[in-house]
This record gives sequence, C-alpha cells and structure tokens, in this order.
Amino acid sequence: MKFTSLATTLSLLIALLFTGCSKSRPAASAAGTSSERKLTVGVAFETLQTGYWVAGFEAIRHELASRDYAMLEAVADGDANRQLEQVKSFITRKVDGIILVPKDAQTCLPMIKAANAAGIPIVLFNRPAEKSEARSVAVVADNFALTRETVAYQIGVARASGGRREAMILIGDLGDINAVGRRDGFDAAVKGQEDIVDVVARVPTEWSQEKAQAGVVNALQAHPNISFIFTSSDFLLPSIVSALKSVGKYHKVGEPGHVLLAGFDGDATAYAMLKDGYLDATGVQDVSFEAKQAVQAILDLRAGKAVPDLILDPGFVIHQKNLSEKSSQMWGAGVGKK
Amino acid sequence: MADLSHAAAKSVTDRLTATLRRVALSEYLVLWLSVIYFLALAPFTPGLVSPENLVNLLVALLPLFLVALGQTFVLITGGIDLSVTSTIALSSVVGASIVNGNNGWLAGQWFAAPVAVLAMLALGAAVGALNGLAITRLRMPPFIVTLTGMMFFSGLAIWFTQSKNIGGLPVAFTRLGGNGWLAGAIALATGAFAHLMLTRSLFGRWLFATGHNARTAYLSGVPVRGVTLAAYVICGFCAALAAVLYTGQAETGSPVLGQRVLLDVIGATIIGGTSLFGGKGKVLWTLCGVLFLKLVDNSLNLLNLSIFTITMVKGGVILFAALLDATRHRLAGSRP
Amino acid sequence: MNAPCALEFSGLAKSFSGVRVLTEVSLTVPAGHTLGLVGENGAGKSTLMNLVAGNLRPDAGEMRLNGVPHAPASSAAAAHAGVAFIHQELNLFPNLSIAENIFLTAFPRLGGTPVIDRSRVHARTAALLTEVGLALAPDTPVERLSTGQCQLVEIAKALSQDARLIILDEPTTSLGAHETATLFALMARLKERGIAMIYISHVLADVLRLCDDLVVLRDGAVVGQGSCNEFTHERLVSLMVGRSLTQFFPERKNRPAVEPVLEVCNLSEPNIVHDISFTLRRGEILGVAGLMGAGRSELARILFGLDPYAAGKIIMEGESLGRITPKQLIGRGLAFLTENRRAEGLCLEASIADNITLVALRDQTRTPFRLLDFNRWREAIATMRRAVRLTARADDAQPVRTLSGGNQQKVVLAKWLLAKPRVLILDEPTRGVDVGAKFELYQLIFELADRGAGILLISSEIEELLGLCDRILVMSRGELRADLPRAEFDREKILQAALPVEEGNA
Repeated sequence: MKFTSLATTLSLLIALLFTGCSKSRPAASAAGTSSERKLTVGVAFETLQTGYWVAGFEAIRHELASRDYAMLEAVADGDANRQLEQVKSFITRKVDGIILVPKDAQTCLPMIKAANAAGIPIVLFNRPAEKSEARSVAVVADNFALTRETVAYQIGVARASGGRREAMILIGDLGDINAVGRRDGFDAAVKGQEDIVDVVARVPTEWSQEKAQAGVVNALQAHPNISFIFTSSDFLLPSIVSALKSVGKYHKVGEPGHVLLAGFDGDATAYAMLKDGYLDATGVQDVSFEAKQAVQAILDLRAGKAVPDLILDPGFVIHQKNLSEKSSQMWGAGVGKK
Repeated sequence: MADLSHAAAKSVTDRLTATLRRVALSEYLVLWLSVIYFLALAPFTPGLVSPENLVNLLVALLPLFLVALGQTFVLITGGIDLSVTSTIALSSVVGASIVNGNNGWLAGQWFAAPVAVLAMLALGAAVGALNGLAITRLRMPPFIVTLTGMMFFSGLAIWFTQSKNIGGLPVAFTRLGGNGWLAGAIALATGAFAHLMLTRSLFGRWLFATGHNARTAYLSGVPVRGVTLAAYVICGFCAALAAVLYTGQAETGSPVLGQRVLLDVIGATIIGGTSLFGGKGKVLWTLCGVLFLKLVDNSLNLLNLSIFTITMVKGGVILFAALLDATRHRLAGSRP
Repeated sequence: MNAPCALEFSGLAKSFSGVRVLTEVSLTVPAGHTLGLVGENGAGKSTLMNLVAGNLRPDAGEMRLNGVPHAPASSAAAAHAGVAFIHQELNLFPNLSIAENIFLTAFPRLGGTPVIDRSRVHARTAALLTEVGLALAPDTPVERLSTGQCQLVEIAKALSQDARLIILDEPTTSLGAHETATLFALMARLKERGIAMIYISHVLADVLRLCDDLVVLRDGAVVGQGSCNEFTHERLVSLMVGRSLTQFFPERKNRPAVEPVLEVCNLSEPNIVHDISFTLRRGEILGVAGLMGAGRSELARILFGLDPYAAGKIIMEGESLGRITPKQLIGRGLAFLTENRRAEGLCLEASIADNITLVALRDQTRTPFRLLDFNRWREAIATMRRAVRLTARADDAQPVRTLSGGNQQKVVLAKWLLAKPRVLILDEPTRGVDVGAKFELYQLIFELADRGAGILLISSEIEELLGLCDRILVMSRGELRADLPRAEFDREKILQAALPVEEGNA
C-alpha cells in the first residue's frame, strides 16, 4: 500500500511535468524550426507587479504577434542574479534578439555583455543601463520634455484661474534616472513662472507609498495653502487623494477649492480620476510606441543599421480638454476597461 | 504455459519493484529524481542538453550551493538561519564599497579585491556570531533571532548604500563570481572542506550529537554552546562567500542582492534530505537538492512557461519531492 | 461459568515482513479477573496488546470481547468497544486540564449545540477523580501532575469511556512506593466492579501479588499459563529467560579499598538536600535508597555539576571541585548515567556507534586537525560492544531507538566506560530493563568496581541494592538518614529510614 502511494506520487509528478511541456509546445517548436526563419525574441522583465509593466509586457507581446514573431518570456521577480540566468538561457536557445527590463542600471551590465559576446542585439525597455563599454539600445520615455509639457499645461490652467498658488512636487527615488528627469522637467517648467507658482514643498518619496503619504500630510500641515500638486508617478496618486480628503481639500475641477493636480505615467487610477474630473492632467508614456520602437530596434540592429543608444518616447499630455480624443491611446484606459 | 508466462511476468515485476524500492530508499533519491527529470524533459526542452546550457546551470547553482551549505550546518543543530539573505546583501554592499572604482575606499589599489573579500567573509562570520551568541547565551529561539536579524541587516544594507547600487567593480573582484572556473573551484574547495568537517572531524560529530539531543550531548561533555555558535558562524561565512560569487556575477554591489533566495536555500537543503528537526544532513545531499532545484528552474525557463505557471509548477515539484520524502520515511519505517 | 469471558484470544498470530512476532497465542480473561502478562522485552507483549487496542491487525486467529468478535479497525474503535490501553509513555496533553484530557474525544454538549457543557464536564470529572482517589481540582493543568497522578487520570479517562478491559503496561516504572500503593488499591476497587485487567510488568513480586492468572510469553509464544498460585518467582524467571538463573545476583569477589575517590562534606542546597556527607572508596558500590522525591537524583545532579549548591564541599581524588561543568568533570573521570535514558542518556536517532563514542570522542581523533581515526574508532566500538555484551544482532550503524531497553542501557554504559571513569553515578540503571539484561548489567557493575571505580548506585529496587552494594545510604526529604554497612543490611531498617518522619513523631 505504501509502495502504491509512492508510485502514485512519482506518476503524478511526471504527469505534471508533461502538462507543463505540452503547453509550451507551440513556442518551443517555433523556436526550433530554423528553416522558416521565424524570428524569436526573448523578453525578460524584472517584475510584473505594477500595472505599467503588465501593460508594457502585453504591448510587446502584441507587437511581436502582429509581426508573426515568436516570443520567449521570463520574469525575474526582482532577483538580478536570476535575471542573469534567464538572459543566459535565452542566449543558449539562440534567440534573435532580447528585450530587457532590468532591475536597475548596474546589474544589467553582465547581461548586456553576455548578449554582446553572443552577437545578439539587446534592447532595454524603459530603463537605461549605466554608461559602460557594453553596447545596448534603450527605449525610454522623454521624462524631461514630457514632464515639462505636463506641468506647463497645469501652469496654464493656474494662470487662467488667476492668482498666485503655492505648489508641491513629489519626487521619486533619485537613484532612478527617470525620477531625475521628471524632477528636472518640473523645475524647467516652473522656472520663470514665479508670479503664478511658488514651490513651497518638495517631498522625497523614494518611490514608496508610505513615505509619500506621510510627506504630503506634513507638507499640507506646514503649508495649508498649497493648491498645486505634481507627482512624479501616478501610482502615488492614491496617497495624495487620501491626504487631501483628510483636510477637506479634495474637489472636482471647476469646483471652488480644487487643488490643481497633475501626474506622470497614465495608469488606470489616473484615467479614472481624469474621467471623474479630479485630475487636471498627466504625462502619458506611450507604451505601444515604446514596444514598437524596441522591436524595430532589434530588427535594425540585426540588419546592421545604425541605431541611437537612446530612443526617446515623446509621449503626450492628456488633460481635461483632450480626454475623449486621446484616451484611446492611453494604456491606463485600456487596463481600466479590462 | 499461461502459468509460466504469468510467473515470468511476476518475477519481472518483482525485480522492478525491488529496484524501484532501492531507488526510493536510497539516500540520494533526489539525485535519481534529477536524472529522471532531466531525461524525461530533455526531448521536450529545447537547449536543455546543450553544453552551454549545462555550463550555465552548473555556474548558476554555485552560489546557492554555498548558502545552502552553511544552512545545512545550522539545520543539523536543529536551528534555522533566516538571516542569510541579508548577510548576502550586507556583505555585497560592504565589499563593493571597498573595491569599487568610482569612490571605493581602496579604489584602484592592487590589494583592494583581496581586502574586500576578506572583509566580506569577516562580516558574514560576525553576523553569524551575533546570531549564535543571541541563541546560545540569551537562549532565544533561532527563528526569532534570525528573523529579526534578517530585517535588521537588510535595513542596515539599504541604509548603508542609501538604497543605491554600487557598480564599477574591478575585474580582479568580479571574476571570482563571473568566471565559472574560479567560482567552481571556490565552491568545490569549500564543499570538500565542509564534507570533511562533517564526516571526519570531532566538531562534525559534536554537531550531529547536538542536533540529535542537545541535553544528552551536554551531559556527555559536548560543548553544546560552542558547537552551536560555530554552526551559525559557518553559516554566516558561507553566505558571505556566496555573496562574493553573486556580486561577481551581477558585477554590482546591491543592498537587495539575494533577497529572494531564502526559500530556495531552505527548500534545496530540505529536499536534499537534511532534517528541519536536526541531527541529519550531508554536504552531498545539499548539493543534490540544489542541483534539483536549479534544474527545475533552468528547465522551466527554457520551456518558456509564463511566470505564473513557473511558480505553480515549481511549488508543485517541491511539494512532490517533500511528499516523496515522507513516503520514503514510511517505507523505511516498516520492518524489512 | 457460562458468562462470556471479558476477553478471549484463539490462535492469534502476527508477522512483520515475514518475521514472526506472535505464534498461536490463545488465552482468556474472565470478567473481574486480572491477568498478569510477563516476558522479556521483545517477547511480544506490546504487539499482543496493540492487537487488542486496535493499533495493529492480526494475521490469523480471533479475538472476542464479552463474547462478541473483536476486530477493531483503529484505536478509536477499540476504545469504543470498551478497551482502554494505559501506555508506558503516557498519552495526556500537558497543556490541557485534567477535565479536558478526560473528555477530549467526547465533550458533553449543551442540548444539540456544539457548545461544551462546562458544568457537566466539571461535575463528572470531579466524580471520576474521587473514584480513582485523586484529590485534585478538575481544571488542574496536567503538566503540574506527577507521573503517578497522570496514570490515575488515564484510568479515570478509561472509566469515563465505560471501559470493560483495562490494559496497564508497566504502570509502576516511574511511581514511588506511595503512588504504587494508591494504584494497587484502585486496581482492587476496579476488580470489584467487574472490570477485567491485563497487567504487564517486570516487577514480578507485584505481578504475583496482584493477579489472578498469569501468562508468560517468550519469543512470541505462550510458554507458561495458569492460575497465579501455581507460580513462584524463580519459576517465572526461568520461564521468561528460557533457562534457570540459579542466582539472581552475580558473585562478588573483591572487596573495596580504603582509599577514597569521592568525598562529600556537608553539602546543602535549600529545599533540595540538607547537610549531606559521605565518602565513596575505590572499588566500592555505594547504594542510595529512598522514596521518590527523597532528593537522590537531585544529589546526583549536583555532584555532576548540573545544579548549584549553596554550601559544602565535593572532593574528588583529594582535589576540591568548585562549580565546574559536566565537560570538566568528565575530564576528571566522573561519569553520570541519568535516570532518564531516552531524554538525557542517548541520542535515539543516532547510531549505536555514534552513541558509544560520544563521550570519549576526542580519544578517537588524531592531531593536528582532530580528524577521526576510523581504525581506532571502530576498534573502540567493537571493544565496548564486547565489554557490555551488546546484542550481536544490531549493526553499528543502526539507530539506538531500535534497541530494547536493556540494550539501550548497555549502550549508555558503554559510552561512559569508554571514557574510563573512576567515579560512576548510576541513577536507576535497570529501570525498564528485562530480567536477563538486568543480570548482565549487574555483572558489568561488579566488573567496574573490581577494576577500582567507585560507584554510586541510586535505585528504587531494594532487592537490587541489597544484592549489589557494599554499603547503603538511605535518604529522606533531602537528608541522609542512615549509612548501613553490608553486615547491617536489613530491608526493614532501610524502609524505616526511608519513610519521612512525621511532624508529630519528631
């Protein structure tokens, strides 16, 4: 009887593995048959834990599928060493290109070197690598320009409403090049507009909701007249909303006492707040554009064409006035619908 | 005639059963499982058998093996060390801050790499000593001591670097982990030494006795406290050595390095056959456990399953290995 | 005699993977009778009882309980049929109260609801406790109870389930004289109520006194059966062992020297021991008698550096020992075989070899790296196995857990002998050991004394002390009450000294 249970265990184990295998059959055979010369691209993401990355992942999958390319996928779950193993196994399987979302700017260097050594083009999606001898192409949003444009719109609204406003910015983790770009974009936008906005609070968040929440509450206490807020990422919006609600300052656009509010990314929360009339504007990263550019960059590299190290996604500002016209391009709107 | 063929069939079945039974009861069951797994998946998994992939697989398992090796010592005493992951992270950033070419304390010096490695190992041993002292002197439960240790040292590593990575490490340092041969030699030498220590040394015997029954060991003149302390020091040391390899592979000192490996470490050690209750463990068992876990990881990557499927299949595979182990114990428990 | 017997076995057999453990066992226990079941360890007593209690199923034969066929599928089914099995290792939950332990599987409920009827639990427990003669509150946590009290709680639990057959497996092993008397009185009351009992024990005097009928098992077969008055102590022993032991205690040749090895002067620790002084000489076997709780084991623990002492001096071979650890004491030639073999004497899951070499491991290693010298190691193990006459059937690599009690104790002794101790403290060395192995242990103790070791022998069996010792100390309530040389050995005198002095008589 004991032996039967042992045998059952073994056979179940094997059955489990075979189910696993059969699922992967199509992709595997696609990669295996070289005669069709169907290109295979390895896509390695550091995480799929926020809406933005899921949207990016889906956009790349969609882009590859529309060109009838095969895709190998890997998610490292925040572990840089594991991601290195995953990139190496892409190389083992002789993929034709790699699209990588690294954990950070440094740990991806050995991966890029490995791809370089194997002669496989590698494109970094949304997070560039640190400068080094390793060659890669990065597709990133033009954080500086897009933020400046978004904040400029916000200032325009402020100017129209008349009067001088006290302003606050939520700054990201300054170890992240994206956060730096957005801060600089904000500073560039408010420069020379001191008659309209007076930046009284700069809240460091280190990309943490808890820190953001505490910082916003403190700033609102110290400066009760703040009526102009920009956040370096939309995922901090819930923290701002709850802080504003607690002091009774959360009102719709156009209502008396409305605090001008703008963000960056264009996620589902931002879309909902725009639709409901609480958010003035947000700078949207054009995920589908970035996905197209990343795949195109791999093709160009394979064809031996010159590709710039940095491909910028200009993005677009979505605001109350162009909402209906632009919302179809906003990835957060798509996520919201699902 | 029918009887004859029936008897023949029965003898074949009997032999098969006997062989299966021997395999099931073998202390290297996990190794057999790995072989079966490998053979079963090879035809369906593109690239699994390619030499490059096998080399990748072997190189990837080295640092995990080192962490699990240290954990084996602690598990043999009947304890557990959850703080290995933050030991890895802390050693990584301290080593990197000494050796890095941008603003390292010894940037550009020829002796920077060896000093950094020694500092990392000393730090690992010191963290282990702190754990061990709290457990033996203050008589606190290992789970709590090392759980709080995990939080504290992880926080320390993040504070130390202000949450930033440290790049720009010199090749003299990174090749320890980046070069498969060097990393292999380090892991092999450490593994062989640990094996000798466990099987042939006075300390090894004392370690097992402590894990079997600390009370009996103490009454028999075994320095139980010293032995337990040493186990935690060894565990910290091995974690730091693994940090040298991890840091070399990533070419970056990171305060979150190794943050996700805790379950792999404990899972691999237990799958290998080391007991959570103490008194049982072997270097080779741990090696087999790590091999199995990494093989599963590697094959699932190659199979191109989605992350969700991978996590589920991996959990299932570990569960089955544990189930098999339990069944095996019942088999072994029945009289021959 | 037409009433069906409480329990009938006919032709019971049981094998484990081809090895016969029981062959053709047939016996009957009439209601209200007590059957004594004796046999050496491994004779099949426990297996037989596990069949009745539903833990194992027989390969052949039939059991009938009160005339009805009894084939329990589980221990719960057996309990339901009215069989209660009181184990050597008690099965109570120390963290629960007496009442909760008794009603764990069958709490009285309020009406049809799942709510426990607290007051009924309390009342019924109180009634049961009175019945078994235990003056404790029903909500006392079991962890505060002594072993004897736990046993009574187990019996109360059996009564609560309307048990018609109670099996007692070695119930007196860890009981003091008073508790044993309480238990025997209770057994007499149960008998009057018509409850059948099976009593398993190594203490043959008790078996002969308590039981109506006797069954002797050897190698899984019944070798003696009949009414109790047909048996004598000697006949029982020879039936169990399969040969006649002409002498229960081996011959002692040498006499102790005069040279002291261990001197204890005015040793005191409040509420534990009071002003203890004695001298142990080379080659002397010094017995320590006393009731449970007289402070004998506590004294041993102080001598071995496990517990502190407030005043007094311990001198070993002329040198005064301060507060030093067991490790240092072992280095000076002291050995301590504790009363708790499983928890303190052995690593049960470790091999015989590892257990034997645990104390003297350092001698089996080679400098400079203190690596094990396997030749010397194996040799030491082989020598010790011969010295203690460990069963040849067991392999060196086999876990100690698989050995019988007697062989386990031999392993503990071998472990200490390998360190060549000059003073041995033996606390209940023959507890839970069968007759044959006991004799061998006695021989070993004599051999040790002959080689010049001083032996402090703590035992609750007066026979053992009288048969082995050169001198006997008697303790009561932490005090030394008598110091008797062999010429003055007298059972009455020892008992008299061991009984606590009542306040009124003092």
